Amino acid sequence: MFLNHFEYFAPKTPAETMELVARLGSKAKILAGGTDLMVVMKAKAISPDYLIDINGVEEFKGIICEEGKGAVIGTNTKLAEIQFSEAIQAKYPALAYAAGEVGSSQVRHMASLGGNSCNASPAAETPTPLVAIGAKVVLSSISGERELPLEEFILGVRQLDLAEGEMLTKFILPEPAQRSACRYAYMGRRDAMEIDCVNMAVSIELTDDGETVKDVKLVMGSVYPRPLVSKEVPALLIGQKLSDQLIEKVAEATQGEAKPIDDIRASAEYRREIVKVLARRLLKEAYAAAQGV
Amino acid sequence: MKKLIELNINDRIYEVAVDARDLLIDVIRKKVGLTGTKKGCGDGDCGACTVLIDGKPELSCIKLAIASQGKKITTIEGLVQEGGKLHPIQQAYVDHGAVQCGFCTPGMILSSKALLDRNPQPTEYDIKHELSGNICRCTGYKRIIEAVEAAAKVWSKEGVQ
Repeated sequence: MFLNHFEYFAPKTPAETMELVARLGSKAKILAGGTDLMVVMKAKAISPDYLIDINGVEEFKGIICEEGKGAVIGTNTKLAEIQFSEAIQAKYPALAYAAGEVGSSQVRHMASLGGNSCNASPAAETPTPLVAIGAKVVLSSISGERELPLEEFILGVRQLDLAEGEMLTKFILPEPAQRSACRYAYMGRRDAMEIDCVNMAVSIELTDDGETVKDVKLVMGSVYPRPLVSKEVPALLIGQKLSDQLIEKVAEATQGEAKPIDDIRASAEYRREIVKVLARRLLKEAYAAAQGV
Repeated sequence: MKKLIELNINDRIYEVAVDARDLLIDVIRKKVGLTGTKKGCGDGDCGACTVLIDGKPELSCIKLAIASQGKKITTIEGLVQEGGKLHPIQQAYVDHGAVQCGFCTPGMILSSKALLDRNPQPTEYDIKHELSGNICRCTGYKRIIEAVEAAAKVWSKEGVQ
């Protein structure tokens, strides 16, 4: 299993990286963790002429997470760093949890947060909580930067809203609102080294009374070509207090929205059942957490 | 076109001529000649090829050798203690019968070391979670988990590195 021949570049600064990305265009691939890229290259699914290794660029790594100011996470921040970051665990537990459930320990020490989104796999773990949190991505090129909500960046299976010469450089996470919480859950065949058959994140914000739903976002992974943001859940829940009947109604609505496929990991029918189970569980968990219970 | 690179493996500098596409596992085994690191699936799934890079467990079968320059690489050979004594984790694996065919063992031990370096008092869940990227087809894992628990006890008592 040899890789194809390619030319290897290891830039040291963002400026050098942008110049290479602009010059080499679609013939180049960016190498961060390589846990997806190397595997598809070995399988000869892609054979890029150039690899741009961004592991030497310090500016692309790291977490800036200050009180009251949300967080900024560099694209090449390793998932293990996010998993073990006390600041992320405290402020964005759903993201820390999802990062800690990707692949194996080795994979998490290699793989980057940016790569997990840019690989654009419908079953990816971290885009689901990131979309629920309301994360934005920063796309950079030699001519400047633009910001985009993550849910608009991932367009479909292996498809991104990324122009030639652009690359993802960081994630911007908003500060969680008062009386809000986000929770993540997944279901797969086993816990380790598996690809989720369904994953889901729910973010809930309550009004001052601590009971009425002010805002809610339910995001499903692995049941649609990209992270699927439910439209029906906010319509059903905003302005309401959570009750068992309402949870049941909401869970059924999400089941109707999911468009899963049959594949080697699970049947579409099973996935639709699991959507309901996870929706029910996460709504309760996130609601209780937002109440501070 | 081959390029001459330096790799720091087990605190020794090796100068090797590599192609950009050469994988770290192949360079370690065939060019450097340290065959303790095993190549299992070659796809990053089984963990047999695990090495520590700057102390963190990584998969050398999906890592480019050229991208490993300037890093501190530790293979199973690097764990040997003074006078050829086994590392406490290795000893614990032997004592607890956690080694059968032995193919997964180097990777398993390096993953155990990375876990204990970060968390010297892991729970059973921590051990299972952090070793889940290393597949063993012989032991059923029970003895491996016992070995790591035993090593953790020695670890906290003697403060081994």
